[in-house]
Amino acid sequence: MRNRLAFRIGVIALAYSIACSLAYVVSGFSRTVIAQQAPAPPTPRAQAPIDLTGYWVSIVTEDWRWRMVTPPKGDYASIPMTPAARKVADAWDPKRDAASGEGCRAYGAGAIMRVPGRIHITWENDTTLRVDTEAGTQTRLFRFGAPGPAAPAAPPSWQGRSAAQWQISGGRRGAPPAGGSLRVVTTGLRPGYLRKNGVPYSANAVVTEYYNRTNEPNGDTWLVVTTVVEDPMYLNGRFVTSSHFKKAMDGSVWNPTPCETS
Amino acid sequence: MNVRITLLLFVAALVVTPAYAQMDFSGEWGVRMYEDQPERVPGPELGDFLGIPINDAARLRAAAWDASLQTLREWQCRPHSADYIWRGPSQLKISKEVDPVSREIVAFHAEWLRSVDRPVYLDGRPHPSPNAPHTWGGFSTGRWEGDMLTVTVTHLKEGYLRRNGLPRSDKATVREHWIRNGDFLTVMTVVTDPVYLTEPFVRTTDYELTVNQQVPPYPCGVVQEIDRPKDQVPHFLPGSNPYMEEFATKHKIPVEATRGGAETMYPEFRAKIRK
Repeated sequence: MRNRLAFRIGVIALAYSIACSLAYVVSGFSRTVIAQQAPAPPTPRAQAPIDLTGYWVSIVTEDWRWRMVTPPKGDYASIPMTPAARKVADAWDPKRDAASGEGCRAYGAGAIMRVPGRIHITWENDTTLRVDTEAGTQTRLFRFGAPGPAAPAAPPSWQGRSAAQWQISGGRRGAPPAGGSLRVVTTGLRPGYLRKNGVPYSANAVVTEYYNRTNEPNGDTWLVVTTVVEDPMYLNGRFVTSSHFKKAMDGSVWNPTPCETS
Repeated sequence: MNVRITLLLFVAALVVTPAYAQMDFSGEWGVRMYEDQPERVPGPELGDFLGIPINDAARLRAAAWDASLQTLREWQCRPHSADYIWRGPSQLKISKEVDPVSREIVAFHAEWLRSVDRPVYLDGRPHPSPNAPHTWGGFSTGRWEGDMLTVTVTHLKEGYLRRNGLPRSDKATVREHWIRNGDFLTVMTVVTDPVYLTEPFVRTTDYELTVNQQVPPYPCGVVQEIDRPKDQVPHFLPGSNPYMEEFATKHKIPVEATRGGAETMYPEFRAKIRK
């Protein structure tokens, strides 16, 4: 009697385990099939809530005296500098910078959007937005998505590493998105200048930017870039500026120029 | 019966979509003057019209301007106009007006240290007749473009583009874009003035959310600052202002650039002044 009961329990357990295994295999197969059938998530390029591509020209109606001409040494107005920053800026020597391969210090990511000139924005690929600048002939790459695994850290550079993310407005409860903006965080920078006369930012600076686009009744289209530089070594607080660019018809007057130290 | 009502309420809760959550601009905003600080706090220097797309009429008016004008009784308590005040030396408070029934935001109110209350209506009301009175704050309506608030300002009294006499006429209109990026507020102003500008004058100004701030009251009393005849208005006759080139000399900037104009706000102008 006992043996029969044990036999029955054994059969039931075996059947149960086979059923579970089958269910697991079938569900796994289903997941695979569903995964194969489900459409791939849209790429950042396809997701773009605003179109930032094209040629844009910076319009200098602010800080003219510090942007359109190289200000003299010691003219640090408007910048919340630490004493350490002031010491560095007071030692600014443009000839030394040029001779030592540091001639692009004023064209790094911490300042480049403030340097007068045109910019050209294109998609490098579906996950990378590319910004070329006339001033200093610089290239910035805004990469969307998580950084790749085990990629060796790139050496610090003028434009650093930029992680990009769309900030999409609306789109709640199935409603279509209603515009948005681009947020870009840049690190991995080579020490540079916030202002051409040697106001420094360090290699530890973090540059956060917000890109917004507006359309005006007269047909003008504008790009507004809000830039926040955080650098405890050289800045007291978050250094925020905003720069505006007008959409250009085309690149017919595109004229890249090399970095200049003065 | 109770079961039916419960069921109906349950279904209604699933179906009803809450009002679209609009970006909230209300709060205390500290102005961040990391652009043009010398112009905005101590005040601009005479003859500095760099980067402003003015015409000859504006230059003529500005050259006739005498700072002593501000000592006149009529000028002493004059508030900054709606277009200039964003760039002025003051913290900002924005409050929101909410419809008690729909709970929709029907207006924002912006206030600075030296300004009048400035409502921005979001309820779809039209702008008044062109013949309606013009005020320092003007008449403002807003509409949403995603999370950005786009504001149209009309009915402004005559004001200034810069506090060194550069005029802005009462025929000007202003378009603003309020953009909130986290704790930062960036406001783009586009001034169009058929009287004194040849192109729209665009600026972007930044504020940072500040939780320990309160815009204080700004009581203003009129006093006799300078004894002068009642009919005397400080001014310079055309061509007689001796100070118009001081700024250029002091900062070693070509006089041609300091006279402003649309050309001076484009990057190509740098090549011209280097020659």
